Amino acid sequence: MIGANLLGSSFGGVLAQIEQTPFVRPHIDWHAVAPELVLLAGGALVTVVDVIGLEKVRRIIPSLTSLVFLAAFVPVLTLWNQQGDLPRVMWDGAYVVDNYSLVLKGLFLLSGYVIVLLSTNYMLEGDYYDSEYYQLISASVLGMLVMTSARDLVSIFVAIELVSIPAYLMAAWRKRDLKSNEAGLKYMLMGVFASALLLYGMSLLYGMAASTKLTDIAAALSIGESKPIFTLAIVFTVVGFGFKVSAVPFHTWAPDTYEGAPTPLTAFLAVASKAAGFVALLNVVIIGFPGQADVVEPLMWVLAAATMTVGNLIAIRQTNIVRMLAYSGVAQAGYMLAPLAVFGDRPGQATSAVVTYLVIYAAMNLGAFAVVIIAARKTGSGEISSYGGLFNYAPGLTVAMTLFLFSLAGIPPVGGWYAKFEIFRVLTDGGSGAGVSLAIIAAVNSVFAAFYYLAILKQMWFMPAPDGDHSRISIPPSLQAALGVTVFVTIVTGSVLIGPLSDITKLADLALP
Amino acid sequence: MSDFLRDYLIVGLFGVVAFGLVATFIGLASFIRPDRPTAEKLENYESGVDPVGSGWSQSQIRYYIFALLFVMFDVEAVFIFPWATRLEAYGMFGLIEMMIFIFILALGLAYAWRKGVLRWV
Repeated sequence: MIGANLLGSSFGGVLAQIEQTPFVRPHIDWHAVAPELVLLAGGALVTVVDVIGLEKVRRIIPSLTSLVFLAAFVPVLTLWNQQGDLPRVMWDGAYVVDNYSLVLKGLFLLSGYVIVLLSTNYMLEGDYYDSEYYQLISASVLGMLVMTSARDLVSIFVAIELVSIPAYLMAAWRKRDLKSNEAGLKYMLMGVFASALLLYGMSLLYGMAASTKLTDIAAALSIGESKPIFTLAIVFTVVGFGFKVSAVPFHTWAPDTYEGAPTPLTAFLAVASKAAGFVALLNVVIIGFPGQADVVEPLMWVLAAATMTVGNLIAIRQTNIVRMLAYSGVAQAGYMLAPLAVFGDRPGQATSAVVTYLVIYAAMNLGAFAVVIIAARKTGSGEISSYGGLFNYAPGLTVAMTLFLFSLAGIPPVGGWYAKFEIFRVLTDGGSGAGVSLAIIAAVNSVFAAFYYLAILKQMWFMPAPDGDHSRISIPPSLQAALGVTVFVTIVTGSVLIGPLSDITKLADLALP
Repeated sequence: MSDFLRDYLIVGLFGVVAFGLVATFIGLASFIRPDRPTAEKLENYESGVDPVGSGWSQSQIRYYIFALLFVMFDVEAVFIFPWATRLEAYGMFGLIEMMIFIFILALGLAYAWRKGVLRWV
């Protein structure tokens, strides 16, 4: 009775209080949120055009979407030009636009652009709904843009769901194919399960900090006494993100989903969606748990070592190139997790190593998927054996694929070696046993990885075509453009542009409070 | 045992307790509940109506589409009611914000309408 009274009166009190507080219009820095707004308006525009034109506009929707991505890139550049004003903070610190978020926004928009180029012919030639596909891609990329700036558990969660939910739908896009249905269903079930774990960890964090802001959580964790609860909260949060970045042992959905989903979408999942998971992980770990390095680092060490080793060992046995790229992507995620195992004393360096890796990984992996999509237009197969004789009838394509595979294996002078170099540097700089041992594991793994990447090279350069068919492959303009962009970025990031790239990623330190 | 391992032990214990609780409750219940299985008890229960056909029968896909559209407007209402009670305070700013929100949802309805989803075939 008393309880009910108390509850009633305090609830009424809260209501009265809300009614008396004057509404203060939140400060919105329109320039800072312009990339998101342009993408939102552009996505709505694509829907309006589709609703008005239906079948008549089907062919212009992909071009329109890619223009939207490029248009959203403009405010990123203008913000980059006004670095003096950075960081721009909104909504009481829940949304921050700094160098770090700008670099990643640029990465996500360009990846989105390349994905649209990869999808154009695939979607037009198959019997698919296509304007919806592009609307969902825009929505998912919008979630990624929000993710780069989110410094608050609620906005991080909304962003990660905005990234994932369209991806669940798109994974099942080949709806008459059982494998694609399996891909979508598996991805959705595991994704929802991961979200539940993540929310559970977040609820514990909120319970301790009484705030959803990452800076407040960091403060509450550093003064708190109750260590076991911290550990529980951190483990659940990290495991939740572990599913999103397909870290071992939470990677089981990845190969089936990658194989069943439409190949352009697989590229999207393996690059953009995975990068979004990493961004979320970086935000939460570097800003939210800086004082908890003793708990986070060993967890990350185990995850990184398991992820790269298991990913590589299973990748060696794959005969389907998409599955192989899926497992190699799992292994690459392991390299990207490694800097977080030593982030405690060098958070800035660890962040820029991960961001460097994300940028180069996006270029080389999107490029490899572009080649897979082009080759499948002729061979209609994803088996590695079908790549025999590629050099005889498509020498240019073979050279491009060679560059991407060299880059994935980390062989100079293409981009991948610099990404790995940065990882090794951050691991060994401190000279700690954990860092050095992880660096050794990563080095051994790189050798394993080179084995299966080079096996594809052998197939392409030296083996005869399995069906003896040496007719040339016609590459449509959109795929040529995608290949051009990815080859260019893969080459320059490993040689000419190392200086500017390292300057940019060094700037990409998270603005620590 | 080091501090570090003890911290992680809590995570393990937490999992054990979670499984243990469920196992205990289901186990205890099996001791005290009467156990008289009959054929009727194994039938599908649907609001007291006798089930016809198997449990795997297909249902009309159009109900699913209407349910989705319903959710769209349901969510809209959830946001609009609290907003409406404080409309004077929010002023023009709040009005424009809500108009943008309604526009995006209305776009969904326009989309469904143009794609012929609303036709009852």
